Amino acid sequence: MSRKIRTVAVIGSGVMGGGIAALIASAGIKTLLLDIVPFNLTDDQKKDPKERNKIVKAGFDSIIKSRPPQLMHKKDADLISIGNLEDDFDKLASCDWIVEVVLENIKIKRDLFAKIEKVRKKGSVVSSNTSGIPLKSMSEGLSDDFKQHFMGIHFFNPVRYMKLLEIIPGQETLPEVLGFMTAFGEKILGKGIVIAKDTPNFIGNRIGVQTMIKSMQLMMEDGLMIHEVDALLGPAIGRPSTAIFKTSDMIGLDTVGHVSKNTYDLVVNDEERDSFIIPDFINKMIEKKLFGNKVKAGFYKTDVTPDKKKVKKVINHKTLEYEEYGKPDFACLAGAKKAKTLSDKLKAIVYADDKGAKYVWKVIANGLIYAAKRIPEISDTIIEIDNSMKWGYNYEMGPFETWDAIGVQDSVEKMEKEGFTVPANVKDMLASGVSSFYKKENGKIFYYDFSSKGYCEYVVSSSIISLAGLKANGKIVKDCKSASLIDLGDGVFCCEFHTKMNALNNEVIDFINESLDYVDQNGAGLVIGNQAGVFSAGADLVPVGAMTKEKKFDEIDAMLERIQQAVQRERYSSFPVVAAPFGLTLGGGCEVCLGADRMVVHSELYMGLVEIGVGLIPSGGGCLNLWKKFVSTIPEASTKGIDLAKYFIPAFMAISSAKVSTSAADARAIGFLGPNDRIVFNRDYLIGEAKNEVLKMLADGYTPPAKRKLTVFGDAAQGMVNVEMLNMSNGKFVSEYDAFLAKRIGFVISGGDARSNSQIDEEIILKLERTAFIDFLKEEKTLARIDHMLSTGKPLRN
Amino acid sequence: MRDAYIVTAVRTPGCKSARGTFKDTRPEDLLSFIVSAAVERTPNIEKKDVEDFAIGCAFPEAEQGLNIGRVGAQIAGFPDETSGFTINRLCSSGLEAIAGATLRVRAGWSEIVIAGGVESMTMVPMAGNLPRPHPEYSKIHAALWGNMGNTAETVATRYNISRQAQDEFAYKSHMKATEALNKKLFKEIVPTPAVKYVMQKDGTYKKETFIIDYDDGIRPETTVEGLAKLRAVFSVGGTVTAGNSSQTTDAAGAAVIMSEDKVKELGIKPLAKVKCYTTVGCRADEMGVGPKYAIPKLLKIAGVDLKEVGLFEINEAFASQALYCIQELGIDMAKVNIHGGAIALGHPLGATGAKLTATLLSNMREKGVKYGVESMCVGGGMGAAALFELCD
Repeated sequence: MSRKIRTVAVIGSGVMGGGIAALIASAGIKTLLLDIVPFNLTDDQKKDPKERNKIVKAGFDSIIKSRPPQLMHKKDADLISIGNLEDDFDKLASCDWIVEVVLENIKIKRDLFAKIEKVRKKGSVVSSNTSGIPLKSMSEGLSDDFKQHFMGIHFFNPVRYMKLLEIIPGQETLPEVLGFMTAFGEKILGKGIVIAKDTPNFIGNRIGVQTMIKSMQLMMEDGLMIHEVDALLGPAIGRPSTAIFKTSDMIGLDTVGHVSKNTYDLVVNDEERDSFIIPDFINKMIEKKLFGNKVKAGFYKTDVTPDKKKVKKVINHKTLEYEEYGKPDFACLAGAKKAKTLSDKLKAIVYADDKGAKYVWKVIANGLIYAAKRIPEISDTIIEIDNSMKWGYNYEMGPFETWDAIGVQDSVEKMEKEGFTVPANVKDMLASGVSSFYKKENGKIFYYDFSSKGYCEYVVSSSIISLAGLKANGKIVKDCKSASLIDLGDGVFCCEFHTKMNALNNEVIDFINESLDYVDQNGAGLVIGNQAGVFSAGADLVPVGAMTKEKKFDEIDAMLERIQQAVQRERYSSFPVVAAPFGLTLGGGCEVCLGADRMVVHSELYMGLVEIGVGLIPSGGGCLNLWKKFVSTIPEASTKGIDLAKYFIPAFMAISSAKVSTSAADARAIGFLGPNDRIVFNRDYLIGEAKNEVLKMLADGYTPPAKRKLTVFGDAAQGMVNVEMLNMSNGKFVSEYDAFLAKRIGFVISGGDARSNSQIDEEIILKLERTAFIDFLKEEKTLARIDHMLSTGKPLRN
Repeated sequence: MRDAYIVTAVRTPGCKSARGTFKDTRPEDLLSFIVSAAVERTPNIEKKDVEDFAIGCAFPEAEQGLNIGRVGAQIAGFPDETSGFTINRLCSSGLEAIAGATLRVRAGWSEIVIAGGVESMTMVPMAGNLPRPHPEYSKIHAALWGNMGNTAETVATRYNISRQAQDEFAYKSHMKATEALNKKLFKEIVPTPAVKYVMQKDGTYKKETFIIDYDDGIRPETTVEGLAKLRAVFSVGGTVTAGNSSQTTDAAGAAVIMSEDKVKELGIKPLAKVKCYTTVGCRADEMGVGPKYAIPKLLKIAGVDLKEVGLFEINEAFASQALYCIQELGIDMAKVNIHGGAIALGHPLGATGAKLTATLLSNMREKGVKYGVESMCVGGGMGAAALFELCD
């Protein structure tokens, strides 16, 4: 039998259920969202289908309204149908996967599963999103087929954005089913899968909650304040800026209270059981309903003064009064700021001796010891724990990576000196002469395995290509400070940028041209991609600003020409070029992608031609290639006399309003992605999938497109833009300068003073791009925009 | 010159564009229905007696293209001998048609002409399907093509028409219309067939027709407070909202214009006559002020004092401009748009002139008013106004 997931049922339409339904629908799968019929209906209301679906409708509506959006595109909501557990229960019979996300109450869950057993089709997968209730107790007494297809599949909130997916097999879960769901979760839903054991709170929340509550307890001991803790336990140690208390405000203090209490009740034998007891002042806050963001007051709140200024305040845990606060001043944080790598930052803090440093050390030492002691209780290896904390809690490093970063030997010595009990497994490891949990050899990662007392290779899915691994394994064929060309095998090479924010500078531009030369001589195809935090934030403005100050406009023109040359060669070279963008892909980064033959993109793609924000115009072929994306899809039979305004307006708006997509689906809706561009849900697969695309194009018999003239809207565009800009600037929606820039952008996209619906050479638009770019650089307001962006990182609207 | 009379003036209901009852009804069908109804309501004439059609239309293209004046006559079953033409002065097109037809009959060039207007704003968008402002001249004077909402904002700020005054004006329009609807005072409306695409059992669609006899944009439940909550649509921090602007509408109207001689010959009791019609230009960026200049010019030519005019139909393109013109001219508000205006009843561009004529004449007869004035602002910066005199 070939297992397929055609329809999924999600039972429970709360925040988690809604988020899960939204993700599955965004992945293109039909989803049935169910919830209970409200209890308190009158006899009349009981007959009204709308009243009966009231709860699930509210859940559905909050999916649509959620910010940040849980759906990748509004249209995805069409794939979600709603119903209630009385009238629509039989529909579960046609579902291939039934996701239970109801209240954390064993009786409710058991009753539900008993009912599901009666209607589900044999072989359908049933999963629970429980975070605390043992799976065994939920499926007790049910049929073998049920148990064989039952497992825990635990998502993290917000579902679309959190990478971690914990899968917890039951004792009787069939390996084939577990393997299928693991692959499904990884490939189709794009998640990072951690196989967890059936223990309370599994891995992420067991470690995460312990760290959170313990940090709170230690704060009380050390006499620190809430905002000080958040400053210490945030980005300085590679954790999210919401750190401990802002995270709690997001989750809700009531939920934090429930989760810690539940865990405390379940982990009877945990040596650190007391570290799940929340400090008393938080109980008082919960009594006062200071739950956090959902009631706009928690550990933090923002007051608005009568003259509409926002004043940020934090609660004083001693008085429970809100107070204004500033940036805490700790010597260790200043030290960390100077350090370049996270490893150096961590060392700068944990081995310092001011009050803040001592606190962070205790939090980290405690966390490391707690994690080590959980093996093999919650997982067999350190990998699951590190991945869970990175993917579920957005840590840059998991506990064991952190331990390596601060030095296992040194930190263990410090721990023992200070009376911590270092777990035997770690001490044994050190005693055997192994002093790090991880090591890299030939591009492969090995981890220390406590049970076999030796290193094991960390094996990932065969679809995942690690550029760092390939580089460590000597696969770099060419490189410079800003970029590398990496051999992906099978004649396919990857041009990887590695500047700050992957900004494009002269070196990168030249490197793209050189990579194209190299592949032309030695390869079959090229992937443009990387595995950094962002694909590319755009062109590096610093040299542009410097050349402008010296009025070296000819040099700028030459630089633009080289970018355009590279971008044009992507399309017209003799081999396939596939760009693989993800995350932020702005300005020049976007232009490099638009020039490629095809794109293979991550579902989380924030793509835009945002040059107008710095008073400029896309001049790396962005105007040309976006317009081409729009008109190249029109069948030749329809082109004669077609109303190009319908194509021109959205292309013009995308550039002149600096539209940035909120997802890959949105990028497709805007027009950045064409019919041949493909969306991949798992970011780790991106390079591999891009390589596959190159190979597929080669297998299909790739020949480069012939360069032909391009149909343009011509000067008819100018009239339309002039009028639209009058409307917009009269309405104060844009500044006069925005209108000035936008008119020129319209001029360029439409091919300048060309006859409407005529055909012109592509080079004309490229030339218009460059001239406009340089003309803009001669405008004071553009220079002010550039300066503002360089000094503040934010666009200026002048 | 001899006299020419309006012997019949009727209109279809005005229905909200895109969401309203006529959203699936072709403009040619609205027009052919209302001209047929006009003939039926005129005693002693048949279709073959009508010599020509003068039809106003603001965007005479696509569904309402190819000279809808001729197309409408043919669809309505008028003989080949009945000719037809389309005329465009944007929002005063329908009135332009009636005035022009009147002149032609008075000159003795025709005996019976049907004049009117039609617009399906659902099917042909405002500014048309292919707007193409002049590339060079739009650099100098883009306001000529600018959106109408901006001109309303300009009037509001230039002449201090407050948001509250606009909202109150809009509220009153709806209340007057509600009362007239409840009291069945829209006697000029002919119940009109509307088309609906109805899904059949097998999932295919079938066109079905039903009758609509009221303006479907009237909001009896509207309140000043509710209107005050709406966001300004044309300008950040502006005052012009969807609530205090006219509704975009699908409708048609028609009037039968007959010579003095023909009226006598057929023994028809005429309704009224167009005593005078005029237009005037103004700045495009404040086109809404048009009536302020058109009405005094009109009355001066006609030699009639403002005080002698018993009823006004001043098109409510926007509350800001209508209110400004009424205030500036010192017109008694009790005489203006007594059954509500375009804010409640809709503004079907090219049909508006004919629609307002039908309404004004019906109200003049109802109230026994001798002189009535119809006026509107016109895009591009113009005002148009006509003076009607009721027949005894």
